[in-house]
This record gives sequence, C-alpha cells and structure tokens, in this order.
Amino acid sequence: MTPGAQLQRRASILSVLAALLWPLQAAVVAYALGGLLTEDEIPVLGVVSAYVGFGALRAWLSMVSEAQLQAAAEAVIHSARAHIVSVEATRAEDSRFGGAGGITALASEKLDLLAPFITRYSPARARVMVVPLAILALAVWQSWAVALVLAISGPLIPVFMALVGMAAKEASQRQLVEIGTLNDLLVERFSALVDIRLLGAKEAVLEGFSAHAGELRHRTMAVLRVAFLSSTVLELFAAIGVAMVAVYVGFSLLGALEFGAWGGGLTPQAGIFLLLLAPEFYQPLRDLSAAWHDKAAADAVLEEFGVWDAQETALLMGRGAASARMPGAAAISLRGCQLPNGDMLTDIDIAAGESVALMGQSGAGKTSALRLMAGLAAPVAGLVQVAGQTLSKDTADAWRARVGWMPQAPHFLNASLRQNLQLGRKGDLWPALKQAAVDDVVARLPQGLNTRLGEAGGGLSGGEARRLTLARAIYGAPDVILADEPTADLDTITAAAVTDGLLAQVTRGATLIVATHDPELAARMDRVVHIGAAR
Amino acid sequence: MKALWQIFSLILREQRVSLIRGALLSFLVLAMGAALLGLSGWFITAASAAGLAGLGAVFDVFRPSAMVRFLALGRAAARYGERVLTHDATLRALQSLRLNLLSGLMAAPYRRAVRLRGARALNRLTSDVDALDGVSLRLFLPVLAGLATQLAALAVLWWLVGLPIAVWIFIGFTGGATVIFWQTTRKTAHLSRRAEAAVQAFRARLIDLIRARRNLAAYGRVTAQVELTMTAEGRRLDLRRQQDKAERFAGAAIQLLGMGVSAGALWLGVSMAQDGAIAPPFAALGFFATLALAETIAPLRRAASDLGRMAEAARRVSRDIATRSPIHGGAAVPDGALSIQSVTLHRDLSSVPIIEDMTLTVASGETVALTGPSGVGKSTLLLAVAALHPVSKGQILLGAASVSDCNEAVLRDEVTLLPQRSALMSGSVADALRLAAPESDDSALWQVLEVVQLASTMRARQGLETAIGVRGDGLSGGEARRLALARALLRNSAVLLLDEPTEGLDSATAMTVLRNVRDYLPNSAILIAAHRKAEIEFADRVVPLI
Repeated sequence: MTPGAQLQRRASILSVLAALLWPLQAAVVAYALGGLLTEDEIPVLGVVSAYVGFGALRAWLSMVSEAQLQAAAEAVIHSARAHIVSVEATRAEDSRFGGAGGITALASEKLDLLAPFITRYSPARARVMVVPLAILALAVWQSWAVALVLAISGPLIPVFMALVGMAAKEASQRQLVEIGTLNDLLVERFSALVDIRLLGAKEAVLEGFSAHAGELRHRTMAVLRVAFLSSTVLELFAAIGVAMVAVYVGFSLLGALEFGAWGGGLTPQAGIFLLLLAPEFYQPLRDLSAAWHDKAAADAVLEEFGVWDAQETALLMGRGAASARMPGAAAISLRGCQLPNGDMLTDIDIAAGESVALMGQSGAGKTSALRLMAGLAAPVAGLVQVAGQTLSKDTADAWRARVGWMPQAPHFLNASLRQNLQLGRKGDLWPALKQAAVDDVVARLPQGLNTRLGEAGGGLSGGEARRLTLARAIYGAPDVILADEPTADLDTITAAAVTDGLLAQVTRGATLIVATHDPELAARMDRVVHIGAAR
Repeated sequence: MKALWQIFSLILREQRVSLIRGALLSFLVLAMGAALLGLSGWFITAASAAGLAGLGAVFDVFRPSAMVRFLALGRAAARYGERVLTHDATLRALQSLRLNLLSGLMAAPYRRAVRLRGARALNRLTSDVDALDGVSLRLFLPVLAGLATQLAALAVLWWLVGLPIAVWIFIGFTGGATVIFWQTTRKTAHLSRRAEAAVQAFRARLIDLIRARRNLAAYGRVTAQVELTMTAEGRRLDLRRQQDKAERFAGAAIQLLGMGVSAGALWLGVSMAQDGAIAPPFAALGFFATLALAETIAPLRRAASDLGRMAEAARRVSRDIATRSPIHGGAAVPDGALSIQSVTLHRDLSSVPIIEDMTLTVASGETVALTGPSGVGKSTLLLAVAALHPVSKGQILLGAASVSDCNEAVLRDEVTLLPQRSALMSGSVADALRLAAPESDDSALWQVLEVVQLASTMRARQGLETAIGVRGDGLSGGEARRLALARALLRNSAVLLLDEPTEGLDSATAMTVLRNVRDYLPNSAILIAAHRKAEIEFADRVVPLI
C-alpha cells in the first residue's frame, strides 16, 4: 500500500479541516435564527455570505482531498495490476490458483474494490479521531448535559462496528470466492457451448449455472445485509442521540429543565447551535462504519491477492521476448531428463538438419519431450543441450528465436488471423500458407487474413486450424521445427501435402522433430525415436 | 437512454411488487428525513420562543417530541427495508437476465457459437450485467424518489412556510440538479464508454497471456503481450483519471448546490421573519428541511458518473436479448432411419455449394464412412444432419420427420454428433460422462470406458474420480478424444454421427474402439466422417465426397 501512503495522509488532514468548518457554519445559522427570537438586529447579507463562504471553502477542501485520495487509489490498483501481469508472464504453467478467468477477475474487477477502501477509509478514520472530540468540546462549552448524551452514545458505535466488521469480512470473502468460481465456470461453459447443446445437456447446465448464480446472490445479499443492518443500527444510535439532544434543548429553552447548562440556562442561539452540531458528531462514525465494509472487502481482496502471489509454479526459462538467434548448428540432445510426473525420458540425440519422429503410446511423454526441446519446460533433473549450449534462462530466448513451434491444440489470440500468424514478425505470409497447404482456405474466408477466429480456431475445420498453426511455425524460416501431431485431423492427401511442406524445411537445412502416431509421416522421417520404454 | 429504459422496464417486470414497495420506502426515507429535521428546527425555535414569552407551561412539548422520536426510528427502519428490498429485487432480476443471456448463447447459431470468444462472452454476462444493477438502484429509483420528495416538500412548505421559500427550494434543487447531471453526463458518457472498452481489452489480453502462454513464449511474444495488456491498462488509467476529475467536480457542484439553496432559504426565512410575514420557528423549519432535502440530490453524483457505463452495458445486453434466436420448436417426432434426400449445402457466407444434390440412406445397424479431402464438406454434412447447419435444398429425414422441424430436445435424444473438436470441462471423469447421461450409475460409466479402451488407464489413476483440469488438462490428446466419444455413446442415440472419432489413437486402438462401439450400440445408424484407414475399413459402406 506504499504507492499512495503520503497522498492518503495529506488527504486525511484536508478532510478533517473540511469537517471542522461545519461548526463555524452552524454558529452563523444559530446566530441568525436565535437573533430572530431575541429580536436582535441581524445583518442578513453578512450572515448569508459567511455561511456561503465557509461552505465554499469546505467544498473546495473536500474536493482537493478527494483528488489526492483518488490518485492514491489509482496508483495502488495500477501497480497491483502491473504486478499480476508481469508475474503471470514469467510463469511457464497455470498455478493452482485457478484458470485465466479467476486471475483476470482478480486483476480487473476485484482489484477495483480497493478504490472505495482507499478513498473512504483512511480519511474517515482521521475524521473519527478529531471531529467528534472537537464537537464534544464545543458541546461541553455550551452544555454539559448535551455533552454527556454524546459522550455516552458515541463510544457504543465503534464497539458495535468492530463486531460487525468481523462478520462483514467473512461474508465478503465467501462472496469473492463465489465470484471467482462462477467466472471460471462460465469461461468453460462458453468454450463447450456446442458440446453442451449436442449432448442435450443445455437444461442441466443452465440449472447448474442458475444454482451457482443463486448462491452468488445469496452471498452478495449476506454481505449487503450485514452492511445495511450495521448502518441501520448506527443510524438508530445517531437518531436517538440527536432526538435526546433536541428534546433536552427544547425543554431547557421552555424553561422546564433547570440543569445541564452553565450559568443562566441555555440561550436560543446555543440550542440551535447544539442541534446543528449533534448529527455531525455521529457522521464521522457512520462514515467510518460504511468504510469498514469497504475495508472488509479490500481485506478479502488483498488476502486473495496474497494467495495468488504465493503460488509457486515452474518459471518460464528466459523472458519470452524476441531475441537474436543463438549461433551454432541446430543439434539437440536430451540427457537423463526427468518429467514432472516422475517419468524418465530416454536420452535423445538429434543432429542438425536431421528429421526425426518421436513415437510412443498416448501419454508416453512425446509432447513433454517436444516442450523440453523448445525450452517451454525445464526437466526436473537432467540436461537439455541445444546448439552445443545448455538450455537455461540465459539461452532460452535466443534458442526459441530459431524454433518453429506447432502445438497439438491450436489456440488463436483475440486478434486478426494476420496478427495471429505473424506474431510480431514482418513479411509476406502467403508462401508459408502455401507450404502448409492452407492458402485456399484463407483465400476463401470472407475477410481473409483480417478474420478473427474463435479461440480454438472455431469457424474452420480441425485440419484447417492445424494447418494454420503449421503455417505459423514455418513462417519466418526457423531452422528448428517442433511439431506435435502435425498430420492429426488431416485426410491422406492433405497430410501428404503437409508432410511435403515440413520436409521442404528439412531440404532448406532445418532440423525437424515431430511427435506423431501417424506411421506414414514417421516413415518419411530420417529416423524414428521410441519414447516411453524407460520408466 | 432507450436501452436503459428497456433494461429498467425488464427489471421492473421481473420484480414489480418488490421494486414498487422499495420505491415507496425510498420516498418515505427522504420525506421522513426532511420532516425530522424540519420539525426539530421548528420545535427548538418554537420552544425557545415560548420560553422567552413565558408560555413554557402551555406549550405542547409531547406531541412534537413524540413525532421526532417516531420519525427518527421510522426513518431508520424504512431505510433498512428499502435497501434490502431493492437490492434483493435487483439482484434477482439480474440473475434471471444472466440466465436468459446464457440460454440465448446456447441456442445461438452454430456459426456464432464456435467463434464465440470466452472472454468477451464472459464480460457480457458478468461485468455488463453487474453494471446494470445501477440502472434501478442508482439511477431510476433515486431519481424518482428524489423528485417525489421534492414535489411533496413543495406542497408542504408552501402550506407551512410560504410560497417563495417553497418555490425557491424546489426550483433550486431540481433545476440545479438537472444542470449538474446534464453537464456531467455530457462529459463522462464517452469517457466511461472508452474506459469500459479499455477494461475489456485488458481482460481479453490478460486471458490470452495466460491461456496461450506456451505459444507466446515459443514465438518470443510474451513481453509484447505484456506490453499490449499494460497499454490497455494505461489507457484505462488515463480515462479513469479524467472520469475521477469530472466526478469530483460533480460532487463539489452538488455540495455547493445544497449549500446555496440552504443559504437562500436562510436568507428568505430571516428576511420574511423580520418583515413579520412568518413566525421565526417557520423560518427555522424551512432552513432545516432544506438541509435534509440535500439528500435527494446526493445520489446524482454516482448516477451521472456511471451513466455512460450503464448505457453501454444496457445497449449490448438488450441487443443480445433482442436477437436471441428461438431454439427449434418444431413438433415433428423423428422415427426411423436416416435419409438424406437431394441435399445441397453451402458454406457460411458463400454462394458456391460445397455439397450438391446428395442422397444417402443409413439403415439402423449400418455404418457408413464419408471420405474425401479436408474441406470437402464431411463435417458440414454431419452438422446439417444434427440440424446445426442450414439445408439449402432437399431435406434430411428421420423416418418421416425432417430434422429441421423437430423439437430440439427430442432431436438431441435421437441424434448424437461427436464434433471434430470437443471441449471437456474441469471436474471428474464421472462428471464429464454424466453431462451426457445424468442418470447413469457407475457400472454404466465403467462399461462405456471399457468400450473406448480407457477403463484400465482410469483404473490406474483414481477411477471415475480422476480429475480433469481446465479444458481437458491432464489428459493426452488421444485420451480426451476417447472420453468425448464415450460421452457421445452414453446418449444411446438411434443415429450416431462421428467426426473423425479415432483422431490421435494408434491404429490398433482405433480399430478395437470402433468394433467396441458397434457392439455397444448394435442398432444405431452410424455415419462417420472418416480420414483414417481404420475408420474406412471398419465401415460397411464407403461414400466418397468429391
């Protein structure tokens, strides 16, 4: 919370000063209305301009104070957000915290909950420390009985508030958890819309969602009820206090009560002055209690932020930035590599310019081996050597700059097809599209390269999406191509075309490694490596 | 504004009684507040006047002081009731709005459903709908209650204090508030629209950064994606600052307006009392009531600053509700074999047909493989049979009923399509399977896992309770494919459409799985979009598409 600490302190002082202007305004009003009764001569213009002058000063002070608080809040939220983005960028895999939906909810709407806390809580706390005491002092000066009423009813409020605050925090936490769950649930449902419909599960899924949404509403109402109840109780305390002051003042002015004031009883001016002050005695306490809920919500967010921050995952080797290519022949060797699930990989040596098929049963570790070679994962034990160097955080970016990567499941970013294929690189896309035998498909798209595809390539067939990721892999002439099931989803003719495209890269001098089940593809490689025997 | 009104009337229709009660209570809260402060001011001044005149003994103190207590307690109670009532009603209305939207998305045309981006749809259902709670809670209800209170105050103050003060207060508050509201929304409407767009961009880009982290890393785009994400955040920050500023000015203007009106009321009251037109206690009443009436314009600040965001969200959401396509509601009952009669199909948005005048019948118990190069229309034909793709010419019949005339629920029972790509959701293996057949017991689930050759794999893990991560994480490509196939088999349909069912399986497994499928569903008509030898060899009949 350091980015805005100083701003918050200054803003608190200003907001206290603004609140202390009210007694001056009240005194002016009391002087005027009281004067009417005692039939004194009242300079109307002077009274009104004093009232307006103090009021304008008060509005200005509050505005300046608010400006600083908002700046502080934005600074805190912005830096927390930047932290989330930069940490997520260094992770090599999802953490246990949750999926993209949960983290995005934390980074966007949940962090926003810090703003009301920062803009309201610290100035309210400062006002609570000063304003009630100041008003109490003014009350004592006019009437010890009124001061007694305030002094007795005032301290009850913070006690009650602390009790409510605890309940509020727990309720907010449960609500936050539910929001995150609901978001993750929805993101998944969206990617499975078609499946859900085909399986006739629409009603069941809607029911499930409705149950979750209902649960969220309950949790939200629980938070709100605590908030409303506590503010109602505070309002009651305040109302009773003000009513007691009003009744006491009324009776004293009537002459029915002979005690409570100093000297010769209460003047009308003093009575009106006290009545105007009484609500302001409670106001800071009520502000603080309202902010208490903001604090509870903020505490819950900060706690969740802490949980996210404490997650430890494998880190991405290197920064994942564009980089100059690593020099040296593109040979790869895996030595004694152990996968995170405990399996040992067979040692693999691949010479530069070679084409190799990794084969083995589903789940044997073909994909993991490709990830190791691409520097997208690090082995638990063992070494990955590329171009004569050990793959590490210092060498990974330079190595990946040489690699064309074709994953098993296509994923398209929320951008045009052109941006998805180029990924920041420059040049003509069509040769790569042609080599991947996908140029016709792109030409047929109504918006061509400007099309925005669904996340998994929705709008195209599986084979077409797969060939687009191949085009992306061979675009920019990388000298190592790592392809995970490149011919999956393809018919024989297209599969042959894709294989030709891949082998053309070998002819060009690139090293090619494919993980595949397809014996025809494997047969066209120089060599087959079987994975999964050693354990 | 039209969209906002539309959303409000939707919320109102959903929760009419609660909202009307809530509106009445919020009027009561404001009116009682004004009455409380006005009465207290009058009471003290009048009591003091009576005391000064020596009439303290005959002054009725009990009724006014009882009124003060009643108003104080009543107001607190009314406030609590109003808040709980309106919030609960609004949240309920929004929950059903969300459900409505989700159900609309589920019935969306196939073409739209597959291109739907999770992030954007999520925004619609969460942050857009969240923004709409302000439509009733922070816009219409406070404005209506405030206006009603002002009108009531105009009448009462006219009667008790006099026309000039009553009119001054009414015109001052309503006129001033209108000007402030109008000026602020003029400034903030486009700001909040753009800020919202920046927030959505931030979310979409962060989701991509997390979801596609391996792809981005492989292409050295992680840092660039971070930059893009933070650019969106920077834009939001900049716009937020401008919004904050406009909001602060609005807040200060509202504070000054309240003060200006009360200062005027003080002036008028004191002058009129000095002229003897009214008694001093009524001058006090006018001034104190004005202080309380400032509460009627306080909510305007939030309303004005949120208006742009609410209007945008309302526009998007009401458009989605309006364009919701009705799900097949036909009454035809499918019975009997699948027959495709002289069917012509077009690709989306294309005028060139991909399948022309095709006729094909698949008998019960028969397996037919469709073959041909990628993009020839195999998948499109399967989609058309599942009534997810429009048929341009000809018809697709199940017995005597055309699939496009069938009731959606009945059709889904009869026809199951395993699409080329299936999405698995996080949960257990049992959850994934029970999505298709909620009533199945464990032995039925094991049986179908046996069919797709996953039983031993799952037994080696945690059986039916084996956890599946987000989007099928933790399963290999082949395992995910077979689980999706198992799910489709559990539907037990008369017509089974399989789009490249053995993708990612080695040839031996593929052949075993296909044989098991036939044994499991001996009487189903099975139509396969085939591209692998195993699938073609397994079929009773092969139909090449050219």
